[in-house]
Amino acid sequence: MAEKKQKTPKRERMKAYAPSKTLKFTKSMTNKKSKKAAKDGRRRKSGPHLPSSFLREFGLQKPIPSSSDKGEVEEEIEDLYEYEEALPEEETKKNRRFDPVENYEYELPDDFEDENVPSDDDEHEPSDEDDGVADGEGDVADASEKHVRMLQSITGLPAEAFKDKEKKDVTLSGVQGDFGGGQISINDLLDPLHGKAGYSKLRKRLHQLEKTPMAVQAPLPKVERDKLERKVTYEQSKKEMTKWEPLVKRNREAPTLYLGEDIDLGVHTVGTIAAEHTPRTEFERKMAALIGDPVVMEAHSKDGARLLELNKVSIEDVRDRQNHLAKMRSLLFRHEMKAKHIKNIKSKTYHRILKKERQKRASTEIDMDPEVAKELAIKQEFKRAEERMTLKHKNSSKWAKRILKRGFKAQDDGTRTAIAEQLQQHALLTRKINSMNENSSSDETSDDDSNELSPGSDSEGVFKLLNKAKDKTIKVMEEEDEMPKTGVFALPFMERSLKKQREAAHEEACLALQEYESSLGKLEGDEAGPSSPGKRSGRRVFVGAKSRTMTFSTEEPENHDDNDSEGEVEVREEENEHKVENGLSEVQIRSALVPDDADRGQEAIFKDFDDIVKNAGSKTTYEVAIFASDTWKKMGGKNPADNIKEKSAVADNLVLSSQNSVGQDDNNDSDSDLEMVDGFLSSHPKSDDYKLPSQDELIHRAFAGDDVVMEFEKEKMDVLNEENPEPEKPVLLPGWGQWTHIQQKRGIPSIITEEHEKAKRKREEALKKRKDAHLKNVIISEKIDKKAEKLHAKNLPFPYTSKEAYEQSIRMPIGPDYNPAISIRALNRPAVIKRAGVIINPIKYEDIDPYGKSEDSKEPKHKRQKKPNAKKTQFAGRKVSKKS
Amino acid sequence: MKVKIISRSTDDFTRERSQDLQKVFRNYDPNLRSQEKGVEYTRALNAAKLEKIFARPFVGAMDGHIDAVSCMTKNPNHLKGIFSGSMDGDIRLWDLANRRTVCQFPGHQGAVRGLTVSTDGQTLVSCGTDCTVRLWNVPDYRNKSSSDSAGNAVVPIAVYVWKHAFWGVDHQWGGNLFATVGAQVDIWDHNRSEPVNTFKWGNDTVMAVRFNPGEPDLFATSSSDRSIILFDLRMSSPARKLIMKTRCNSLSWNPMEPMNFTAANEDTNCYSYDARKLDEAKCVHGDHVSAVMDVDYSPTGREFVTGSYDRTVRIFNYNGDHSKEIYHTKRMQRVFCVKYSCDGTYVISGSDDTNLRLWKAKASEQLGVLLPRERRKQEYLDAVKDRYKHLPEVKRIVRHRHLPKPIYKAATLRRTMIEAERRKDQRRRAHSAPGSMPVKPFRKRRIIKEEE
Repeated sequence: MAEKKQKTPKRERMKAYAPSKTLKFTKSMTNKKSKKAAKDGRRRKSGPHLPSSFLREFGLQKPIPSSSDKGEVEEEIEDLYEYEEALPEEETKKNRRFDPVENYEYELPDDFEDENVPSDDDEHEPSDEDDGVADGEGDVADASEKHVRMLQSITGLPAEAFKDKEKKDVTLSGVQGDFGGGQISINDLLDPLHGKAGYSKLRKRLHQLEKTPMAVQAPLPKVERDKLERKVTYEQSKKEMTKWEPLVKRNREAPTLYLGEDIDLGVHTVGTIAAEHTPRTEFERKMAALIGDPVVMEAHSKDGARLLELNKVSIEDVRDRQNHLAKMRSLLFRHEMKAKHIKNIKSKTYHRILKKERQKRASTEIDMDPEVAKELAIKQEFKRAEERMTLKHKNSSKWAKRILKRGFKAQDDGTRTAIAEQLQQHALLTRKINSMNENSSSDETSDDDSNELSPGSDSEGVFKLLNKAKDKTIKVMEEEDEMPKTGVFALPFMERSLKKQREAAHEEACLALQEYESSLGKLEGDEAGPSSPGKRSGRRVFVGAKSRTMTFSTEEPENHDDNDSEGEVEVREEENEHKVENGLSEVQIRSALVPDDADRGQEAIFKDFDDIVKNAGSKTTYEVAIFASDTWKKMGGKNPADNIKEKSAVADNLVLSSQNSVGQDDNNDSDSDLEMVDGFLSSHPKSDDYKLPSQDELIHRAFAGDDVVMEFEKEKMDVLNEENPEPEKPVLLPGWGQWTHIQQKRGIPSIITEEHEKAKRKREEALKKRKDAHLKNVIISEKIDKKAEKLHAKNLPFPYTSKEAYEQSIRMPIGPDYNPAISIRALNRPAVIKRAGVIINPIKYEDIDPYGKSEDSKEPKHKRQKKPNAKKTQFAGRKVSKKS
Repeated sequence: MKVKIISRSTDDFTRERSQDLQKVFRNYDPNLRSQEKGVEYTRALNAAKLEKIFARPFVGAMDGHIDAVSCMTKNPNHLKGIFSGSMDGDIRLWDLANRRTVCQFPGHQGAVRGLTVSTDGQTLVSCGTDCTVRLWNVPDYRNKSSSDSAGNAVVPIAVYVWKHAFWGVDHQWGGNLFATVGAQVDIWDHNRSEPVNTFKWGNDTVMAVRFNPGEPDLFATSSSDRSIILFDLRMSSPARKLIMKTRCNSLSWNPMEPMNFTAANEDTNCYSYDARKLDEAKCVHGDHVSAVMDVDYSPTGREFVTGSYDRTVRIFNYNGDHSKEIYHTKRMQRVFCVKYSCDGTYVISGSDDTNLRLWKAKASEQLGVLLPRERRKQEYLDAVKDRYKHLPEVKRIVRHRHLPKPIYKAATLRRTMIEAERRKDQRRRAHSAPGSMPVKPFRKRRIIKEEE
């Protein structure tokens, strides 16, 4: 403890003498280290010499200590003092004397002054020292007393004898301590340097220093010091961070950032895969053993000559192999010869037998395995049953129905064949059923089916139908003749009524029959007709007349008791039809018919003529139309309707129609006449006297009818009204007060009128503000087009500074349809390109010139990107050269 | 006489190999195609719609913890590995590809609050409320099958007991140091049982620490006294303190821009700061409706992911005011930690419901290998969409997100509150002397002061 006391003041002095010493090592000291150092120091002290208190204790235990020993101890202390002085200061220091510092290498800037540096020593040292001194003295006193007592007990001498010596020692040590520390001045230190270079300079500086008062400023409070330190730290780290700026800027401004490009993923080659392969199965292991045989490997490793040696085969082996091959070859040859021989045999029976045998063999194979055969049969039967159940292939599917609905003929060949195929399949699957059913099925149905199925031509079908209908009606008529002779129906009045009914029915039947007849006849005519109009008409007349006469001859007996009107009508119908065909034929018909119909009297003929007159105009036009369109069959279909109409018309007005028609004709004539006159009149004055009209007059005359200006103004007004609608005029409101006339008395409430006024004013202002307010002849619509609005950005997007810039940016299309393949990649490249599954490391510092072009800085990356392209272009170039 | 005929050279129309594509000759004369803008607009619209249709971000959940997941860390050296620590002291290593636990690291007595992995991916550091820091060897599970390794227990290489409970830990990028935070900030070395350095500035607990990946000697902490403190290991001293009105729960440095970091604040916003200019935030990212619990940057540095107490995960652009993506599921509870995967393709979230969830970073991205033509097509659609993103229709479709009802309601409520506040402020301003109420920009409003 004593030496410590001595040591500390001296060190301080040293510091005071050398103020310019840097803080390098004091700063770079960690908390931990300082602790350790303190411990070490203590330990070291206890090594070569123990602290006095310990010594005392030792002394108490070991009765050795003598004066000489003590002297030695003191000497040692002295030595140790020197030794300790030589130690690095930081090691000797106590804990918390210096700030904890992590980094040893760090150097403070040069301009950092020592005065400001906080030093814990300054603050705390004095008190520590005092304590230490007090403690030390107390300790020493204590120890010495004990020592004296101990000595006394050993030697038996009085305590005073020992005490004196002890005191002397203490003083001595004190003197020595003083000598070592307090008295040494800087001049003493300088003395050894006397005569060396720079000595005078140093002395001069020393004098200067001595002259100026050495007032050291009081250190700043810790808080302030910390703050300063932090400020420096922040400045420093700011500077560090700023160096990244150009790099970050470059990355941000780059159109595309390539990440994870520099990592080599290690593409697998066949070699690497093969190297990783480990044999698993027995075979693989065998192979591996053979391949990995060191002998073989060695053989492979050189030029391969050794492989040949390894490849040696014994003579026996070769001979065996040759023999084997020869045998095989001869067998093959024999087989071939046999086949040829069989082929050469011309007998058909032989071949047939052969074939049968082959088939038999195949069938026996099936037979041999009865299960297979059974299964096959079951399968077949199942299919058949299924087909019978579902009629799957008989146009029952949705698809087939749809096709049939649309018309079989409208389909293309493929569909048609598909349908046919389906039907055939159906037939195949149901053949057995048909063959069984054939006996039971009636002829009629089959006939009907065949009729229905065979479509034939339309006319044929119609013909048959008509025939059938006719047959049936005749049959019914025949049946009706037989009357019931017994029961209620036998009563006289019933009989009468029945008869009436029957007659009515008969009439109807006859009518129908005739109709059938007529249409039949017409059909025949149609079928025969297509050669030439003149011929056709003639022939038809003949046929028609013939058929009609034939029918009448059959019906005449029955018809006679009824009135003739029907027959006449019938005849007229016939005639009308022919009229439709041709005017000329009409006349022929008349001439031909007249002798036949003589008994009917003149009336009918006259009627007919009236008809002709009446129908003339319309009929002819109709005809023309028909001829033009060339649709023969349609007309046949339409005729009955026409006929019916005509029937009624004829019955109603016989004479009137003719009169009308005549009147119409007259009218027409007069009209045409007038027109003629008109045309003549208009052309007349032109030729008389002609004067060239002026431009205005011409325009005036040209637009005489329409007032364009007015129209435009009206249009504009409409637009204005539409865009800024006029406020509605306030009216008396239905509701409260109306009943008692209060509203009428008071008038419209002021609020409403005011509002109206306001709205009016607003509208006027709006109208004034319009762009076309002062443009008389212009309408500028201010209506917003909602559809177009969708295609405009609402406000200018952020990075763009003007509308033009934004529009320019989206002007050029970027799609592959509008750009060549070379430029598409660049146009569509995303902002960040990273590879899937590649770890992206944080940014690494690289020096870039912040003022250099960004292109240059990006070059390495682009190079990497473009390498394959470059290769390709080279390749392409080669190709081109080859071609040329 | 000149006769014009169509002539084709056979060379242009014959393929060299049968696999070659037939050449298509196009006339790129713009006069021939006058509708290209309309066509591309329609394509953009369709692309936007398709993107919405294909937006299926949720990949899968990883369950196994029996308490809330409190922290996660990704293995910087291995894409598939992610570590998660839970409130019951369980640490698990997950295989993202199989979504299965690879192995467990038992030992912590209390909640695990911090996890970090050294840059080489060999050492895992964990710390927790039981005042211990544990170092673990990360098993090389690539060669092991997951079933047998899940059973055997891993023993820590070292356990350091310290004076206070820990709240977080982070490892220096590429270095040998890691920092733990709790009552103070301690810097540890892998090989020392005691911290090599200790910092204390203020008496409050430090909640989060994050090293700067670009500048390995720089790190930032956020403490419960609402401050963010920057430290520099080179000077072995703190550098600057920023005090905000509310606490920051977490922060993350931009790996591509070493001066920028983003702090996840309690006031539902994230604040991006330039560490050199702390007097104002560079950007305020708002959209969450509750405190933001964690933030992590994508390795591309272009976006970051946040997890919030409102049960959602959001993805922001590094300079975007509003989120570009929101992820939520019915079953996901409070999100405590989020991480971006090392290749920037996935997002992992750990939440109160004891599950880790794996999401796609781009919701509609097609995973797996794309054919070159597919990729080109996708690139084109993206480019077109990006080009017409300002047009109202496209914008509407791209921005539309379906929100859970409570979040939707909370957002509207928040909006009305902000609006009311704004109106009140406006009125106050109107009734006070001009100039007596200086207008403070939004980016500065939440900052109280910057302390030296």
